[in-house]
Amino acid sequence: MLLSMSWRNVWRNARRSIITMTALSFGVAGIVGMYSYRELTYGVMVRDITTGLVGHLQVHGKGYQDAPSIGTLVANPLQVEAVLQGALPGAKTERRVIGAGLAGSGDRSAPVMVLGVEPGATALYRMSAGQDFTGQPHEVLIGKDLATELDVGVGGELVLVSQGADGSVANDRYVVSGTFTSSSAELDGTAVALPLAEAQSFFALGEGVHQLVVRLPVDREDVGPEVNALRAALDVKTLEALSWTEMLPQMKASMDTKRRSQGVMDFVIFLIVGLGVFNAMTMAVFERTREFGVLASLGTRPSRILAMVMLEAFWQAGLAFVIGVSLAALGLYGWGTVDLSAMMQGDVMGVRMPTKLELGLDPRALGGAAFTAFFTAFAGAFFPALRAARLRPVEALRHT
Amino acid sequence: MNSALLALLLFAAPEAAPADLPACPSAEEKPDVKLLLKRTERVLEGRSSVAVMRMAIKTPAWERAVKMKIWSRGRDFTLVRVVEGGPRETGMMTLKREKQLWNYLPQAGRVMKLPSGMMGDSWMGSDFTNDDLVRGSSLVDDFDARFEKSVDHEGSPAWSITLTPHASASVVWGKIEMRIDRKSCMPVEQRFFDEDQQLARRMTYGDLQTIGWRTYPMKLTVTPADQGRQTVITYEHLELDVDVPDDTFSLRRLQQGKE
Repeated sequence: MLLSMSWRNVWRNARRSIITMTALSFGVAGIVGMYSYRELTYGVMVRDITTGLVGHLQVHGKGYQDAPSIGTLVANPLQVEAVLQGALPGAKTERRVIGAGLAGSGDRSAPVMVLGVEPGATALYRMSAGQDFTGQPHEVLIGKDLATELDVGVGGELVLVSQGADGSVANDRYVVSGTFTSSSAELDGTAVALPLAEAQSFFALGEGVHQLVVRLPVDREDVGPEVNALRAALDVKTLEALSWTEMLPQMKASMDTKRRSQGVMDFVIFLIVGLGVFNAMTMAVFERTREFGVLASLGTRPSRILAMVMLEAFWQAGLAFVIGVSLAALGLYGWGTVDLSAMMQGDVMGVRMPTKLELGLDPRALGGAAFTAFFTAFAGAFFPALRAARLRPVEALRHT
Repeated sequence: MNSALLALLLFAAPEAAPADLPACPSAEEKPDVKLLLKRTERVLEGRSSVAVMRMAIKTPAWERAVKMKIWSRGRDFTLVRVVEGGPRETGMMTLKREKQLWNYLPQAGRVMKLPSGMMGDSWMGSDFTNDDLVRGSSLVDDFDARFEKSVDHEGSPAWSITLTPHASASVVWGKIEMRIDRKSCMPVEQRFFDEDQQLARRMTYGDLQTIGWRTYPMKLTVTPADQGRQTVITYEHLELDVDVPDDTFSLRRLQQGKE
């Protein structure tokens, strides 16, 4: 009975209720919309990071992260891979060699990042022209923008020079098999990819690699437990294991900072909306003083009056939540795909920001928004409700 | 004494220093540094040179040595060829023509031009930079020199000089502190500071020998600030102010892999 009474009461002053609900709905829509947009962007970025250049985790020779050096190696990567499979079942690993060098073609030359990758096992790049490694000797793939800079195309000749881990002058001549794009503008502009074995011989590394990139069968940001499990299994005297958040600390910090500042925004939005609810409910209670007096003199207990007023707030919050989420969904899906390529040139902290974003509702936004909407409505309504419950029937009836 | 014997004596006598060479102002407490540096550079570089040197590099990870032959003419032309080294670098050549630098890479069989801005990078993994190797910058022309004081350097009197690069000079250092031996007017030590005024490396000159009219340091040791690294160059053969044919510094010859 209270439910239907409070529902009717919401519509007794429809205009005021609609205004209250509109304020609440816009608050909900704003929060859900911004949350979804932000988390979607982060989701794409994190997926790019964890499937591409960085992976969820990496194993290096000890000290590599702080001071990457061509001679700091995982000396026996296959053994380490076996240990890793034991500690993290289902994880995918990829061996990688990374070194700096100079690439030349014709009269042009440029500093480059030389990557040794496992052909077929890497998700580092997508071919943009030519073909992936075919197994021919002396094949290289190069970043699309680097190809432009060096003015070399598919089938062209590329000379690489660097320094081997033994100090020798690494130099050789290769044929460009294809050009690629990746999840990082830096790679597109500076990377030369060689099959792992060619890179190992170029840099005189033997079987050694610089990075064992680990991809976990999960899709989440925090991989702390996995890092700890891996550290427990590895020989930490010669190796180090790091999560992507440890390798890109600024990235994680910036994401968390933005989340926190968003939290503050949400709080401010609902503080304002909450005050609006408080005002509306105070007015509603004040106008109905005589009514509450009648109810009380008929023997309605104060707790039931309190519950009834609170339920009125509940109905409004509930309606506002549904409307707000619908508005957010309408906006997000209605917008569809955002093309940020004009706005986002280059990398943000080593990772290319997603240029095309499929907008949609992030379900994780709903819980928080629902909690905030209901909490705000309840907090705004509580004191007016309490006031209604505490009215003394005689005084209330005399109220004009 | 007959005239023939006199002539023989004259020819056998040490070659005389060029007339335009400033005298070594050993007695002066506070020499004219510009003049002093001019003299030092003239003696060290000559108008041209042909040299054979051994370069030994030591790092925490590896040690190696290469033997190379160097031809130079003035500051604009230099050719370096690795005559003995590992299989991948024997035959490697570095050619400097005016401001530009090319490397001939023997395994690739190709010539690669060094991008500008890499003059400060290591040459062949040593603690010498490309700039050191080809003497790209001049202490006299590219730096402002200031006399500091007379000092005692390992038991011998020396002058201490500070060099700061001109704003327009393409020099990789922020500052060089230099000590010049008062007796020989030869540098004994240079300390190179980076743009943040942090000590980057120390170069010492040793094993002074007489080459013609010169007293020449036959051993150069570079010790960078990084722990555990050192590069030592020792001249095995050195001729200065000799004729070097023009086509030694030809880019076409370099592309053919010929010295």
